[in-house]
Amino acid sequence: MGEVQKGFFSVLQKLKGTTEQELRIVLLGLDNAGKTTLLKQLSSEDVNTITPTQGFNIKSLTSHGIKMNVWDIGGQRKIRPFWKKYLEKTDLLIYVIDSADKKRFEETGLELSQLIDEENLNGVPVLIFANKQDLATASPASEIAEGLNLHTYRDRAWQIQACSAVSGEGVQDGMNWISNNIVNKKKDD
Amino acid sequence: MASDDSEWVVESIAGYLGSPEWVIPVTDFMENKCTVFDDEDENKLTYTEIHQQYKHLVEKLLETYMQEVGINEQQFLDACSSPFAKSKTLQTVFQPILATDDFQMFRALMVQKNMELQLQALRVIKERNGALPECLIDGADVKSELEQQELKILQEVLKRSKEEYDLEMARRLKSEGEIGSTSRSCCDGPVLEEASIPSSASTQQTNTTSKVNSTSLKREDLKAAEARGVGLKGPSPSMLPSELASAEPIVLPAVRVPVKGTESGAVSRDKGSSSSKAGEGWIEEARKEAGICKPFTELSSEQQEQLQQRALYLRQQRDKLQAMKKEQKPKPATPEEPPAPTPSTPSKEDGPRMNGSGASRVKEDRVNASQPVSSPVGGQEKPKEISVEEKKKLQKRKHLAEKLKEEVIKK
Repeated sequence: MGEVQKGFFSVLQKLKGTTEQELRIVLLGLDNAGKTTLLKQLSSEDVNTITPTQGFNIKSLTSHGIKMNVWDIGGQRKIRPFWKKYLEKTDLLIYVIDSADKKRFEETGLELSQLIDEENLNGVPVLIFANKQDLATASPASEIAEGLNLHTYRDRAWQIQACSAVSGEGVQDGMNWISNNIVNKKKDD
Repeated sequence: MASDDSEWVVESIAGYLGSPEWVIPVTDFMENKCTVFDDEDENKLTYTEIHQQYKHLVEKLLETYMQEVGINEQQFLDACSSPFAKSKTLQTVFQPILATDDFQMFRALMVQKNMELQLQALRVIKERNGALPECLIDGADVKSELEQQELKILQEVLKRSKEEYDLEMARRLKSEGEIGSTSRSCCDGPVLEEASIPSSASTQQTNTTSKVNSTSLKREDLKAAEARGVGLKGPSPSMLPSELASAEPIVLPAVRVPVKGTESGAVSRDKGSSSSKAGEGWIEEARKEAGICKPFTELSSEQQEQLQQRALYLRQQRDKLQAMKKEQKPKPATPEEPPAPTPSTPSKEDGPRMNGSGASRVKEDRVNASQPVSSPVGGQEKPKEISVEEKKKLQKRKHLAEKLKEEVIKK
């Protein structure tokens, strides 16, 4: 009967009458990486009033004619265990890194590699934002990519994009990558 | 499957969704779980958990029903994709099912349910007491009317206060007499505006009093703004005192959040230290301490005793404050009060609420009550007192007020 219910719930989509494509995107990263700022930047909201996320935020965006439901989940250590509850049926993982926080590169790399191993994220494309490039001490994206061993990812599409969520620089480039790589690919499936 | 078959299935399901077998457990669930759902932007992690539980509940209910009636999966799928099922009326009926798959829809349902319950509670209160407590009504109305205006004023206030603070600092540096400089500089404006302050009678401590009041008012605004997440980046807790100390010359409508106020007043009063009520009492006392003999002479021995206790406490408070002041400012703190001859003050009894300027007292009460932490001395406040916890509490309360407001508007 469990199987029956799965079919049943998939039909609910039809009930809603939404035939257009919807992407479920999960936005993760360590605390203070800039996830919520990025989310607000994406939805053109004020980025100056952001406080540490204790729970999660959801925004529905439309980019390149695609509806995206972006889930931004708090990154504090005590919340991280909850991340895996949000990974089901995810179309894309956006992982945000504070490029100026060199001391925590190892920590963030560890969290990312754990995510990559999650069953629910099997084959799910990853977009990494090397955020805070507006800071003078920020490491370049290429350096971070190397540190994270991104080149060893074989089973999924990935991209690292330098950006500043505060200024918005580079954010759109990342979204372009999504529409070019994920959306088209999903249509093919 | 024939199309009338689909129609039959859809109708049967729709019928089920209106039956007690469905409505009771689902409503029960929602009413039990909705209390944590507020309409804040950020979602709590528990929402997800509750959503999961809801999913399981709906799955189980539908499963049982389909088995009972003998609808199989295929029939159901066909029925759901039939044009008949997509009609507007049925869309509404199916909403509780759709919510299993759509977190945001689920959240909206829960938030709405929570509001309904609160509204019901309000109605019950009203029925029992004949009227709503003033704080509840006030909170809704005042806020809805003033909110926008309030924010603008706040930002303006903060801007101006900064300027004035700088000015004042410059002035102070020049002025040779430390004593009274603070209060003198602040009396250009605020005393006039704060007509409600009982002690407008010209005593040197008046300045302190009015200053305290207007300061606290501002502080409360600040809090409200912070709670609302307004983009006031400036004042971190440690900055508050200086920011606020100079803020008072600006006219402010008495903006208050009574829901917040009453509670915080009560709570902090119990704690006894640096509470708003205590602070306000202290202000009164401070006047007396300064040897101002008010025309109130009626004093019972009991009252006198109270007063003495009070005075002792106040002195401790002041000492603390002065110590903090010294830490705060590199330059010597301004001794605002003359050494207090407190215990012997024969002026009036402790409770500032009972004696003296009765009517105006009420106003001051309101103003001060909404301020969670206070005890400012001549424009100096304890900065550290706004603990994170208190902020959270305030936010909670503010939130409640907001919700109530929304309900009132909606209905």
